[in-house]
Amino acid sequence: MALSLSKRAFNQERIVFLITIVLFAVFAVELNNFLAPANLLALVRSVAVLGMLGMAMLVVVLGRGIDLAIVANMAISVGWALQLIAGGMPVWLALCVGLGFALGMSLIGGILIAYAEIPSLFATLAMATFIYGFGRAHLITGTDVVYLPKDMGLVAQLGQGVVAGIPMPIIVAAATALAAYLFLKYTKPGRFIFAMGDNFNAARIGGIGVRPMLVFQYVLSGGATFLAGLITATSVGAMNTRIVNSNMIYDVILVVVLGGVGLSGGRGGVRNVIVGTLLIGVLMNGMTIMDVQYTVQNVIKSLILLFAIVSDSIINPRDEQTGQQGDI
Amino acid sequence: MQPVLELKSVTKEFHGVAALSDVNFTLAPGEVHSLLGENGAGKSTLTKIIAGVYEATKGQVLLHGKPVSFANPAEALRNGIAMVFQETSLVPSLSVAQNIYLGNEKFLNRLRGIYIAAQQFLQSLNFHVDPTMSVSQLGAAQKQMVEIARAVHHKAKVIIFDEPTATLTPEEKYHFFSLIKRLKQDGVSIIFISHALEEALEVSDRITILRDGRHIVTDAAANFDRNKIISAMVGRTLSAELYGSAGATRTARPYGRKVLSVQNLSMGRMVRNTSLSIYSGQITGIFGLIGSGRTETAKIISGVVKRDFFHGGETRLEGKSVRYRTPRPAVKDGIVYVTEDRKIEGFFETKSIAENIYLNYLASDQGTGLIVSRSEMVELAKRWTDKLAVRAIDNAASVIELSGGNQQKVVIARALVQQPKLVIFDEPTRGVDVGAIAELHHVINDLADSGLAVVVISSYLPEVLNLSDRILVSRQGRIVEEFSMEEATEEKIMYAAVH
Repeated sequence: MALSLSKRAFNQERIVFLITIVLFAVFAVELNNFLAPANLLALVRSVAVLGMLGMAMLVVVLGRGIDLAIVANMAISVGWALQLIAGGMPVWLALCVGLGFALGMSLIGGILIAYAEIPSLFATLAMATFIYGFGRAHLITGTDVVYLPKDMGLVAQLGQGVVAGIPMPIIVAAATALAAYLFLKYTKPGRFIFAMGDNFNAARIGGIGVRPMLVFQYVLSGGATFLAGLITATSVGAMNTRIVNSNMIYDVILVVVLGGVGLSGGRGGVRNVIVGTLLIGVLMNGMTIMDVQYTVQNVIKSLILLFAIVSDSIINPRDEQTGQQGDI
Repeated sequence: MQPVLELKSVTKEFHGVAALSDVNFTLAPGEVHSLLGENGAGKSTLTKIIAGVYEATKGQVLLHGKPVSFANPAEALRNGIAMVFQETSLVPSLSVAQNIYLGNEKFLNRLRGIYIAAQQFLQSLNFHVDPTMSVSQLGAAQKQMVEIARAVHHKAKVIIFDEPTATLTPEEKYHFFSLIKRLKQDGVSIIFISHALEEALEVSDRITILRDGRHIVTDAAANFDRNKIISAMVGRTLSAELYGSAGATRTARPYGRKVLSVQNLSMGRMVRNTSLSIYSGQITGIFGLIGSGRTETAKIISGVVKRDFFHGGETRLEGKSVRYRTPRPAVKDGIVYVTEDRKIEGFFETKSIAENIYLNYLASDQGTGLIVSRSEMVELAKRWTDKLAVRAIDNAASVIELSGGNQQKVVIARALVQQPKLVIFDEPTRGVDVGAIAELHHVINDLADSGLAVVVISSYLPEVLNLSDRILVSRQGRIVEEFSMEEATEEKIMYAAVH
């Protein structure tokens, strides 16, 4: 059955996958330590959080939305939870509060988009600014960086643990991807998200409760965001709230778009995000070993994105027959 | 006389599938030449090759005897070939005058200057459109007029009209046809595509009929009549069931239960104090011209358009007062609306036929809880595509690849899978070829026979007369007249609708 998106032999996803393999092969031959198991694990681990945020973004983008508040939500909700723990609150309770904050903020964003009908770009941009401003002013009272308290118990293992030789962040990211895949492919709300992204009006007339579904999308994304933040904090030992002002949100959008997920909704899936994330992982890892400057890395990243999109449109020109409106 | 335009054995293939094969076509100066055929016959492909939208795979296009090949529509336009598209290609945010002069602006483009010039130009065409209005505020018919004005303004020698009259009111049609006559006198050649055969017979000098991408016949219009055209179009003679003496052999179905009653419904300028009742086991036809509020009424009833609390009126479904804010509760209560515009709000184009049907099944809270079932989807799709005779290679094909008639069947399957009590069909056969119309009419008749309440909104009189057991006529936002099947005639209905 053609639940799959495209019968085209070389779509953007495959082009990006090919680039990844070529880069991987080149690095493997050219760089000494690239193929070392430790380096490969480090490679995947370095993009685990990015991939999880990509999943959070994917769920929203498939429904023809975008969530620019992901990074702010992650930094503040986790940062606040860490501060509460440092202040003496039990770990489980603080984490519940943090998760509640993340879900609450994305709930507000979702309501603004679904019921007040504010375009998602503006609503989530405003939410990102609000969350960061409010969080820095009233929740995180210390410095920009909230350090991980010592007595985190088992939760610390999320970032630092190793199971069967594989670091926990990789396992959690894989589990998130699997959950997202199963949700999108096999559940009713998952299919409804695709339907809304494809044709919002048709979904509405068909009797899908489109507004609750929109809100649900953003809340899901908020939940995944909190988990990604928790991994970040426990693996590096702190939550630096200044990442809100970094270009991390663009990287999240990059891995989603790079793999071939359409920003107009309805097209793409978990596989596309994984492919996009792996490319970024291979690229960053190789360039770091080669000691390429950070600024140059950004230039290369952007060129690869453009290359993927341009070659897709050259190999798969717009279909004359279906791209044009009207009968034959 | 040398033809203005000549196509010599033109073939056009899409992905190896021929949309046109070996077609010859000539256009004489000052001639109105109609292109007729079912949807998918190749009319639009042929005209798009002429207008530079597509390039022919094989064959030659000769303009004034010289072979040409246009890279794009703009180049065709510079060579005097203009196409008025089915879907309008105006820039919505610009004014009428700016649209007419688009591509022809002087370096210093004074708005006042072009407003005055456009005003005079539109007046000379007898078009009542304000040149300063933004195109987004115009109705469909007015947009069409602006589009025509633009083609005329470019001094085109060949103008292609693709379904120009579908959105026009009778009065606007009258103006349109007198304009065609004037263009003809000025020596402009016109290619005219229409589904309305009477129009084609009336306006054309010659008629060419295409079927399945092949040229069937070209002859002077005087040598054709309706039946001859239809049999050439479909390759068979359709029974009078579809065209001709409507209602002669039918008997009206009896009234069933009163399923829906609407009292004094109002909303804005489109729906004004309208009242109507719908009964089960019969087809209620609603006829009205565009802008008479029939679609809006249907959309309020089915929750597609929210009626705000300050708008008056009451809707009762089986005696219970209802007021839907979204389509979802209406669907749950068994009211489904089959849209008039399937491309915009009828189906999911990236999804398969099967999933399109299944999604509506899920949306009406049927099926296996939260988890989707592939086998259930396949089985459900098979049942419905068999029932409605959807012709597709596979239910896994995407809906966008189907012809108009089959797309419409999928849209109808999407509605019926929700087990409705009341189905509202809005223009069920718009943009559907002749053969599929008969099939769709069978489906609609079967629904009424099985006891459903069925509403058919149509601006095509033979359709309303053919299908309906009773006919409501809508005018200026309300139902103004009701006819039983026996008393309804085309004249009576039209009289009620336009007066």
